[in-house]
Amino acid sequence: MSAPSSQQVLQALATIKDPDLGRDVVSLGMIKELEVSAQGKVSFTFELTTPACPVRDRFKSQAEDAVRELTGVTAVDVRMTANVRPAFLRPKPSEILPGVKQTIAIASGKGGVGKSTVAVNLAAALRQSGASVGLLDADILGPSVPVMTGSRQTPQQANGRLLPIDAHGMKLMSFGHLYPEGQPTIYRGPMVGKAIEALMTQVDWGRLDYLVIDLPPGTGDASLTLAQAVPLTGVAIVCTPQDVATDIAVRALQMFRKLNVTPLGLIENMSWYVCPSCGHRHEIFSHGGAESAAKRYGVPFLGAIPLEESIREDADTGVPVVISRPESAGAKAFVAIASQVAARTSIQSFRQLPVINVH
Amino acid sequence: MEITWEDGARTTYTGEQLRWACPCAECRGEAGMPGRLSRVKTLGDEELRVKDVQLVGQYALQIAFESGHATGLYTFPYLRRGLMQ
Repeated sequence: MSAPSSQQVLQALATIKDPDLGRDVVSLGMIKELEVSAQGKVSFTFELTTPACPVRDRFKSQAEDAVRELTGVTAVDVRMTANVRPAFLRPKPSEILPGVKQTIAIASGKGGVGKSTVAVNLAAALRQSGASVGLLDADILGPSVPVMTGSRQTPQQANGRLLPIDAHGMKLMSFGHLYPEGQPTIYRGPMVGKAIEALMTQVDWGRLDYLVIDLPPGTGDASLTLAQAVPLTGVAIVCTPQDVATDIAVRALQMFRKLNVTPLGLIENMSWYVCPSCGHRHEIFSHGGAESAAKRYGVPFLGAIPLEESIREDADTGVPVVISRPESAGAKAFVAIASQVAARTSIQSFRQLPVINVH
Repeated sequence: MEITWEDGARTTYTGEQLRWACPCAECRGEAGMPGRLSRVKTLGDEELRVKDVQLVGQYALQIAFESGHATGLYTFPYLRRGLMQ
C-alpha cells in the first residue's frame, strides 16, 4: 500500500477549523514542514498563534485523527509549536542594520544638485580616512551609484540575503545592481517604502562604521521610511548656491527636524568654477547661499564644493574623484566635508535612545 | 504607560487615555472624513489595554493595543504635551 501524497494529507488537515478565525488551519498557514516518508510515516509541525492556545490539545488530536484516517499512513508525528504574531507589522528597530554604527543620510530638496556625487565621494573619503563604509543607494527610481562607482555587477546571495557589492573598498547596494541596465523601476509610493526596507533588512551589511545613504531628491516616501525604520545618526543636505535652491533645501531640513533627525549641516555644491584657460574663479550659480541659510536656520555649514569637469568625468568612468584625483580642489573639498561630518556624527553617538520597558 | 523624558520630567497615561487619543487616520479621520473615534461612544476592554510599544525612528512611539489596533504613531511632542494636537 503506497503512502499518501502531501496534498492528500493537507486536504485531510483542512477539515480542521480554527474556532476564532473561522478558517481551516491549512489556509491559515499553520501546517509546516510536512514530510511523508515512503513507508507512510507522516510528520509535520502545527504552528499555533500563541503558546496559550486553549484548543491546543484538541488541535493535536484532531490532526492525528484526520491523518490516521488516510490509507497508507503507518505513523503520525505532530509537533506543536507557537509563533506569536508580532504586534507590529514593521521590523524592530534593533533588528535593522545591527552591525552598523552610524547612518548618515544625504538628502536634497530637489534634483540636479549633485547629491549622489556628494554621497559617493563622502563615502569614499570616509573610507580613505580608515573607516569601514557602506553606501546604500535609496534612490529606487533613479539609481546612479553603480555607474559612479563602476560596480555594475549582480549581487551574490548567502543565507537568503544579498551580499553588498565591493567597490573601492566600500560595500554598496543599489536598485541599479538588481535590475539590468536600462530597465526602469516603476513603483508606486508604498512599494518604494518596502523597497527601502528590503535594502536595509535583506542585505547583509555586516559590521560598518558608517552607512552612507543616498536618498532620492525631495521629501518623499523614501526619506520618511528611512526615518521611521532606523534612528538615523544625522542628515546632510546638499544644495546649490541659488536662493531658490536653498529655500527648497531648507524645506528638506524642516522635514527631518519634524522626524527628529539631527541635521549634520548644509553642503553647497557647484559653488564656483575655475576656468582652466584664464584661471579666473566664476560663481556661476552665485555663492554662499547655503552658508547664510545654515546660519539662519542654526545648522552647521559643512563646506562648499566647486564645479569641476573632472568630478563628472571620473564619475562617468566609475571612479570617485577623491580616489582618482586627490589633489584636485573638488577632492580636497570632499575630504574636508567628510571630516566635518565625521566630527559631528561622533558627537551624536553619545545621544541616548529611548529605553522601553513593557511589563 | 509612564514616560521619563530626557530632562527628568514624567508623563503618565492610562491605556484608555492613549486609545482615545490615537492619531491614526482610521481613528482621527482624514481628508475631511470623520474618524472612528468621533463616531463611537464606547470601546471594548481589549481596545483599551496596551499590548506593546515600539520606537519609530527617533521621533515617535507606535502603540499596539490588545485588540490588535496598532496604527497610531504617537510623536514625542504629542506625548509630552498631554496628547493635545
